[in-house]
Amino acid sequence: MNAINIDREVCTGCQTCFEACFVDVFRWDADEARPIVAYPEDCTECNKCQLECPEQCIEVVPDYFGTYWPPVV
Amino acid sequence: MATLGSLGTVHTTDLLIVGGGIAGLATAIVAKETDPEVDVLVLDKVVSGWGGKANKGGGNYAYMVEEDGFDRFLDFHVHNVGDFLEDQELLLAYGKESRPNLERLESWGVHIYRDDAGEPKFIRWMPQHPWRMCVMDQDMTLNMHRHAIKLGVRFADRVEVIDLLKDGERVCGAIGFGMLDGECVVVKAGAVVLAGGNQCYKLMRRWSSARGEGIAAAWRAGAAMRNAEFGSFINWVFSDTKEVCQGAEDCLYNAKGEQISRAVRPAIESDVHSKEVVAWWREMKAGNGPVCANMAENYVNNVVAPAFHDDKLAFRPVSMKFWGLTIGRAMAASTVQGPMQPVLPGFIGEQSPVMVDHDMATTVPGLFAVGDTSAGGSSLAGAVPAPPGRMRGSGLGFATFSGARCAPAALAAAKAAAGEPDAALAEELKARILAPLGRSGTAAPELVRRIQDVMSPVGNSILKNDERLNAALDEVLAIKEQLPHLAAVDPHYLAACHEVEAMALCAEMFFRTSLARKESRGWHLREDYPERNDAEFVKWIEVHDAGGEMALSTTPVPIERYPFRP
Repeated sequence: MNAINIDREVCTGCQTCFEACFVDVFRWDADEARPIVAYPEDCTECNKCQLECPEQCIEVVPDYFGTYWPPVV
Repeated sequence: MATLGSLGTVHTTDLLIVGGGIAGLATAIVAKETDPEVDVLVLDKVVSGWGGKANKGGGNYAYMVEEDGFDRFLDFHVHNVGDFLEDQELLLAYGKESRPNLERLESWGVHIYRDDAGEPKFIRWMPQHPWRMCVMDQDMTLNMHRHAIKLGVRFADRVEVIDLLKDGERVCGAIGFGMLDGECVVVKAGAVVLAGGNQCYKLMRRWSSARGEGIAAAWRAGAAMRNAEFGSFINWVFSDTKEVCQGAEDCLYNAKGEQISRAVRPAIESDVHSKEVVAWWREMKAGNGPVCANMAENYVNNVVAPAFHDDKLAFRPVSMKFWGLTIGRAMAASTVQGPMQPVLPGFIGEQSPVMVDHDMATTVPGLFAVGDTSAGGSSLAGAVPAPPGRMRGSGLGFATFSGARCAPAALAAAKAAAGEPDAALAEELKARILAPLGRSGTAAPELVRRIQDVMSPVGNSILKNDERLNAALDEVLAIKEQLPHLAAVDPHYLAACHEVEAMALCAEMFFRTSLARKESRGWHLREDYPERNDAEFVKWIEVHDAGGEMALSTTPVPIERYPFRP
């Protein structure tokens, strides 16, 4: 499973990552004004959250070799 | 007796568009351009402007002008792409409207890169291809979203639409739930446009969001489907990282060091083809694996793709960062050094079978479908998965084309008849939609994996035969039996339950129609019927609901009135 690391000290709570994820990985912690990585198993490392973060405080770490892959042959 | 208001939040609009990617946005914008007074509401499962595939792809837009020769384009397409199953009239219209639609996109905030004379800069995948491609940056849908807001289009994000509401036979709304709170959402609408994408079975990375809920909603509303048997697109991936290996199709080598691409692809073609997947499969079955892409000979990767990313063609800062962090990072992480990189076919699907006419109207009054939802069902591209259907750049092109064509027709339908959703039916649908919440049973990911396991093997979905298709269909029907037992702990997983329901539906449709097409044509290859059979199969296979079962029928392609015939 991919890991999504967020530096909550640097994060300003702009919600860009929350909006940018096209597969609904994030939820929003309204009390703390910070993203929650709620469904990391659905992350497909499009990396939009990381690319668009204005503070560059989010990092997607792909798990290239641990992802399930169905039979092909 | 339930009222709509007792079921949940109720929205009312003239035109409801489900899906805020490029096709939905194009439809919404043209609707407001056509009639600024009309109310247009766009719902998206996540966030409009960010979703969909247009902002995660190559950014290629296929177009042509008179001097390219529209007849030459049709001729090329029927012989190299769609194998005479194209709706040649619609394909010709695409060609002729593609250049004006490019101007449209620019007026909607999409940056078009132009030369000193003011003409769009373009490139061709191969010099002999009769269509041009200009490139766009991946901020295109965000810019369209901003433009749509300026025009007064309304948006409601994080709403998952599952079913359509009807008044008699006419669609007049939709029902679903909020992705954050799981509360029921009902929309009353003059007409509904489905723009939520096609079926890609949640496997390959950038195609993952396309899970076919719109196709399933249309099916349950009674819409006919067409060309479902071609929905088994693949892309070549590196065996270790499973990231796309662009261009592998032309430089495949078996473990004996023999070049295996050239026998089936003597010249570089417009895209991946199922025939080299078969060549790969046969080598693997014969014990001649692993099959490697010889990256030193990878013309597409080494020559063609860099030309598309050249700053002289277009400086695209968003795209460049994106590709660096996706394919670039994956290639750097590869465990295999050197030019010979083991590859395998990564199953995608691109099944887009909602049948539509030239105005993108489905067979159900009041219901339309655009973009990836109906590309295959429109028959524009013929016997290929669509879009882009082995015509690079036609994904963005069809999204724009279909949205622009749909909007005036959908508005006319919305104004022609006002329907009132049946509240009792809506109550039943609400109960069905929310049923997995809170009950114990099967988790959706378990069934997703089973469906991927039956779709992905080349022997099931690429080189087909009766025996394997029937076995695959039996497995899909066994999975279907489990659907009533799906359980969800929250709205995210509730959506997953409906996604897997759509996957099972699309898989069943794929195998049933694949069994019916007893020939090989275009992307559809049958081991037991290896030849194209023009005497019997210049026909579109269609699927209809018959009392809860899939009934198949055929419609002859009106080839006699088309300029190009087998």
